[in-house]
Amino acid sequence: MAERHCVIIGNGPAANEAALTLREKDTDLRITMIGKERVGCYRTHLLPNYIIGKTREEDLYVHPTDFYADKNIKLRLGQPVKSVDFSKHEIVLDHKEIVKYHGLIIATGGKPRIPEPFLVFSDIFLTLKTVADANAWIKKLKQIDSVLLVGGDLTSFVFADALIKMGKTVHFVLNDESFWPIRCTPEIFNQATGALSAAGVQVVPCQRLKRLAVQSENSVHVETDSVSLTVGAVGAFFGLRPDVSFLARSGLTIEAGIIVDEHLKTDFDNVYAAGDCAQVFHPELKDYWVSIGYSNAKNLGRIAALNLLGGTFEAEMAPTKIFQMDGIKFNTSWWTEF
Amino acid sequence: MSHDKSSKAYSDTPSQPEQKVFYSTDPADFFYMSVNVPCQDYCPAKTNVPAYIRAIYESKFSSSYEINRMVNILPGVLGRICSRPCEDRCRHGEKELGRSVNICHLKRAAGDHKSVGHIYEHQLFAPNGKRVCVIGSGPTGLAAAHDLSMTGFHVTILEAYDEPGGMLRYGIPDFRLPRDILTSEIDAVLRMGVDLKTKVVVGKDVSMEQLLTEYDAVLVSTGCYASRALNEPGEDLPGVYSGLEFVMEVSAGAKIDLGNRVLVLGAGFTAFDCARYALRLGAEDVSICIRGLEEELTVTADEIHEAKLEGIKIRSLMIPHRVVGESKVEGMEFLRSKPGEKIPNRKRKVTPIPDTNFTLAADAIIIAIGQSAIPIPAAAETDESGVLKTDPETFRSTAKGLYAAGDYITGPSTVIDCIAAGRKAAEQIARDLLGRKFREWVVSIQETKITDRERSWDYIPRVEMPKVESIEERLNPPDTEVELGFSNSESLEESKRCYLCYLHYEIDMNRCIYCRWCIDEAPRDCIKLVENVTLNEDGAVIGLTESSSWNKVNAVVIDNTQCIRCGACLRVCPMDCISVSKVQLIEKTVSVGEQNG
Amino acid sequence: MSIIDITVEVCGMAGDGTIAAGGLINEAMSLAGFSVLGFDSYPAEIRGFGRCVTRSRIGSSDILALADVTHVLVSLDDEQSISRVPFLSRPATVIFDNKPPGYIEEAQSLVAKLEPDTHLLGMPLHDLAVAASGTARGRNLTALGGFAAIFGASPDFFRQVITKKFKRKGEKVLASNIMSFDAGYNYAVEQFADRLQPVFVDATQTDTEKVMLSGNEAIGKAALDARLKLYFGYPITPATPIMEYLAKHLPEQGGRVVQMEDEISSIGAVLGSYYAGARAMTATSGPGFALMTELIGLGVMAEIPAVILDAQRGGPSTGLPTKTEQSDLHAAVFGGPGDSGRIVIAPTNVSECYKYTVKSFQFAEKYQSPVIVLTDFYLDNRVENVPPPSSTAGEIEDMTIGPHKDVAGSYVRFEDTASGISPRSIPGAQGFNYVATGLEHTKTGSPNYSPEVHMSMTEKRFRKLETALQDDLPKPKEFGASEEMDLGVIGWGSTFGSVLEAVNLAKQKGHRVGALKIISIFPYHRKEIKSFMAKCREILLPELNFSGQLANLIGPLHHGEIIRINEVTGVPISPATILFKIEEIIAQLASSRVHDYQN
Repeated sequence: MAERHCVIIGNGPAANEAALTLREKDTDLRITMIGKERVGCYRTHLLPNYIIGKTREEDLYVHPTDFYADKNIKLRLGQPVKSVDFSKHEIVLDHKEIVKYHGLIIATGGKPRIPEPFLVFSDIFLTLKTVADANAWIKKLKQIDSVLLVGGDLTSFVFADALIKMGKTVHFVLNDESFWPIRCTPEIFNQATGALSAAGVQVVPCQRLKRLAVQSENSVHVETDSVSLTVGAVGAFFGLRPDVSFLARSGLTIEAGIIVDEHLKTDFDNVYAAGDCAQVFHPELKDYWVSIGYSNAKNLGRIAALNLLGGTFEAEMAPTKIFQMDGIKFNTSWWTEF
Repeated sequence: MSHDKSSKAYSDTPSQPEQKVFYSTDPADFFYMSVNVPCQDYCPAKTNVPAYIRAIYESKFSSSYEINRMVNILPGVLGRICSRPCEDRCRHGEKELGRSVNICHLKRAAGDHKSVGHIYEHQLFAPNGKRVCVIGSGPTGLAAAHDLSMTGFHVTILEAYDEPGGMLRYGIPDFRLPRDILTSEIDAVLRMGVDLKTKVVVGKDVSMEQLLTEYDAVLVSTGCYASRALNEPGEDLPGVYSGLEFVMEVSAGAKIDLGNRVLVLGAGFTAFDCARYALRLGAEDVSICIRGLEEELTVTADEIHEAKLEGIKIRSLMIPHRVVGESKVEGMEFLRSKPGEKIPNRKRKVTPIPDTNFTLAADAIIIAIGQSAIPIPAAAETDESGVLKTDPETFRSTAKGLYAAGDYITGPSTVIDCIAAGRKAAEQIARDLLGRKFREWVVSIQETKITDRERSWDYIPRVEMPKVESIEERLNPPDTEVELGFSNSESLEESKRCYLCYLHYEIDMNRCIYCRWCIDEAPRDCIKLVENVTLNEDGAVIGLTESSSWNKVNAVVIDNTQCIRCGACLRVCPMDCISVSKVQLIEKTVSVGEQNG
Repeated sequence: MSIIDITVEVCGMAGDGTIAAGGLINEAMSLAGFSVLGFDSYPAEIRGFGRCVTRSRIGSSDILALADVTHVLVSLDDEQSISRVPFLSRPATVIFDNKPPGYIEEAQSLVAKLEPDTHLLGMPLHDLAVAASGTARGRNLTALGGFAAIFGASPDFFRQVITKKFKRKGEKVLASNIMSFDAGYNYAVEQFADRLQPVFVDATQTDTEKVMLSGNEAIGKAALDARLKLYFGYPITPATPIMEYLAKHLPEQGGRVVQMEDEISSIGAVLGSYYAGARAMTATSGPGFALMTELIGLGVMAEIPAVILDAQRGGPSTGLPTKTEQSDLHAAVFGGPGDSGRIVIAPTNVSECYKYTVKSFQFAEKYQSPVIVLTDFYLDNRVENVPPPSSTAGEIEDMTIGPHKDVAGSYVRFEDTASGISPRSIPGAQGFNYVATGLEHTKTGSPNYSPEVHMSMTEKRFRKLETALQDDLPKPKEFGASEEMDLGVIGWGSTFGSVLEAVNLAKQKGHRVGALKIISIFPYHRKEIKSFMAKCREILLPELNFSGQLANLIGPLHHGEIIRINEVTGVPISPATILFKIEEIIAQLASSRVHDYQN
């Protein structure tokens, strides 16, 4: 291999920004992006609107397919990575292909978090992170009238609102473990309950989800420590966790995410991590943090790319965005420990 | 396919005349075994895994149990709580091949389903009139006592506590290891003519000097019973427990009220035992706090999964700084930690990040950060903590006739490590006292036929250990054994999954016609067109140079490191030029006439 | 049902079962009621590391040629399939083994070469086949199962054709293949539930019966139906399948296939048979045909019928044994010394292979001349589903004269008739024996070298061909022609399908174009060809040879220069290539027209 080959694992905002930055700075580099999903980079925050038909599918996507070919970036979609051998500089794809790299940026983002005690219900839960998830919801919602949402992450509040607008009955299990990416305080709890109730959501206060039983394809019986009810589907909204399980035992330092230094470099030379899968020590917070949000991901993607090319830029630490939904405000762009 | 025994016309059936066995001590053959039967290689005791799983497949549970017992006197115990290094290396668990065979739980099945009138098989050497004293009745001591007794020694075990078993009895929770299983397997050792004296503390009730005069040899195998202290402020507050003592007390039946929120400090099995005990004592919010990373925990993935399922949280990258509280524990202050550089085969160094203090509230704190040996006074060289210095190969101390083995000299290890160490020490003591060897490892090679294993069996999903599903039932009563054991049919099904890596397939190049049908049939890249073969200095094959150019191909070779023993090549071969042999690493008793070097 | 026009390729290494899989797709889709045109290519070596590709174009209306793009690629060997990537449509669907036995490097990976919009359908073909049937050999069928499920083709069609194919290999083999197929089908239905493209879902078995035939099979069947007695031949790609077909079936109707020591003896034996009155043929390819030229001359001179099939391949010499080319035209028409006029006909599709092979016996016997049927690799090996050729269509009138009192004693073998056709007898009966000789001879067959005899006999032999041209040989056929065209496109042999599709597409775009199909290559219909040419401003003649062999032959009939497309790529010429040229010519004509006006 005469030319230098940089591989980016992921196809989200961090990955895209990294690829474009690499190309911008180096016109000769061979760049490959390997994405697990079968579709191009899309705007996750539009998914609730897409589900209720307010956003067209084509408007979800950030770039047309040929955009990458024009930039001489090889985009490979629908090809999960199985493992990485950092000592041999090899990526092993799920279909048993070996791709060698000189530089690597891992930007796989997050995947829905299901806390361990809820894992037994994971076959029943629907999540909402990808276009494929959204399509599953669209299909499901055609057949059901009521939904139970469990959790309490940023998407869940927006989605609850969207479902109400669709005319669905929405139940919402809220307890102090629900919130993500911040810890619950009584103040937030009351704020959220109030806002949801005002929007027409039926808030179910309970400490424990005791039993979920599928009665038929479109009917799930739910028992909590306070009530029991029957709904059409159950959605799990416990936030995200870094999608890095394929790197387990690869030698990378992984806690929640891939632990990187302030330059987003991993333990290995020429290997960087960026976006929602990276975990950085934040000197002001005095703790590790994992970024959330589109613009954070883009910034980190750019920094990782610049540093891979020899730069020494530091990860942007300032919170850049306030999420809000009718009366609930989260001023955060990170999460630390869950 | 149904499990039809009547139609079986394959090897391993007693009716078939056994082929001649050839025993090899060629280093190349040992190398072959280490690469090709990794489960056995990674077992510290070198358990012949394929053989005992094949015996289960043939419904010979008793003989499967005995195959285990040849190297491991406690199959029923290890079938529950072994650390399973074998399963990490099982060929079935390689990248694209699925998941490893449930080797450990099959071992338990051998014990669970062995016949009621099970007969132990022993090869007893004649009594030799010499006496050996073993101090400590944990796995190391029991294994050593058993082997010494078989070798013809008169063995006495001295045990400080009320009952034999050591950590197995006092350090492992009963919901993981029911005591009746343990007792019966210990009894099987004691009935070999081993004298057990309990409640004897060496150094107090009897001195080492006295023992060394009374016995021809003394083996110290007292394990690690001193809990390591945190050495941070507040450790003496009420509500702070030492992990080992906590487990020992609860195992002995103590009902300790921990309160609601419990933090367990530590990363080993003891920490997990403490956490799961804490839940069973009524705590609701239990966290295991570790300095490093969850992924680098030494406990099994299954253990982590079960603990989490029961509701235990694992919090990582935090270093205990001080216990918070006035008159009793109120919480624990930690510092965030920074994982150091990872160096292969070495524990990662973790350092605190200054000024990152944070506190977690707690009603009780259990410190399970390690154990060490309690020294026994003796007239021999010791390290700075007073523990005997021994040669790791010969187990000899500087005093004649005084030996030490197991956790006492290595620090906390695994049960299977201890059993292996006890046996090695026994062989060494026997050789030292009698000047000859009694057992040696050889590679046995035997022509055989292809088995009835079907390729479709490779697709059988791993049979998981059935467990008490409901967390509430697990906790009530608290000593409920969580794992239920394989049924007869489950163990048969799981046994089918073993590739039987002790079978060796080879192509006879004198008869091969290069038709390549075997390559077309190969389940993976296991049969290669080879230009050259690389040998190591012992003559073992360590590499194949493949060629895609037809003109350069000199042989068609089965790459045994890739071969999954499916037999597809043999079945399709039109020339019948592929042979099968059974190669096993076994321990052979050595008679006087066979002594060499 | 919307218009369906899908091209599917199966690609693998020799030994992967590629050709079998492609064949089953053709059969099954034919059974489902679609028009199918299939074409395989495979390595020249008998056993080795070669690439096999089958292409199947499946349509809801008639299929004339292979398409330019492939919509679906079924890969049985990724490294081999990489070569097919440039031919894939956007987006394309690719079915591949995502759990192959070994690991592959990026450079050898098919997936690495695909566009991001490709519908990637990875299936563990090897593992599924083994799990289902205990052997990996059925993985090609597992892939077919995936194909059927993804595109909504009823698995029953596939099971029927698999049964047909494997029935005779025994229950066990059949069951194992069906299981492999089902494993793939079920896997795809389950795993790709949200990614199915059920284009074939409306298919039902049609009432009109169609059979799947290759060009070679059609030729073999035609020979049988023409009551062929003796086949002599020497194996050569791509003609061998004819011999194989006849070896199997000819004895069933009392005939014999004899493998000769070479092509010279083959043609010799054919002439001998026909001299003795037994219907005979041989089939060969370029290198073998070259050996026959001397004895073809004997057939011409001695006026003995012979049917010679020349299945063209890339040449000269051994050339490209498994590639297609139309470069034997000069050899067929002119090969050999002397003025050895003979009949050369070139069918253009599978139905015509049948039709004109039958006719070739008729022509040979009626006109007492060697008849050369020119096919090529692409025509011989392509399969089409066609209405079953009629079994009575092959009945051929006996044109010989038998022992008859009236003529006994006055029989003149080479009598100079108005038509040039002399009475031919079967030697044996008294008074009907004659000498067949390669020497120039008189009407009675005696050698004679006088100027008069040679002049009149040569003229007679050519007059005979003129009669054939007037009475029997298939006339050129115009397609979509009008009285005034910008461009006429002339096609022959296997290339004509592409010509017609290109012309049809051009007409749809509003261009004034027409096509002319020439089947009778020699002699050829000067008047008809000229009349077509007269209607066109320009003439285009695409053919798969370098020198433009048909254009050279008929060029003088055109008032201007014939525009040529000459490709020697070894692969069929595509409709798109021709269409591109048509549009280029028409654009030039338009600009010159503007230029004319401006002047």
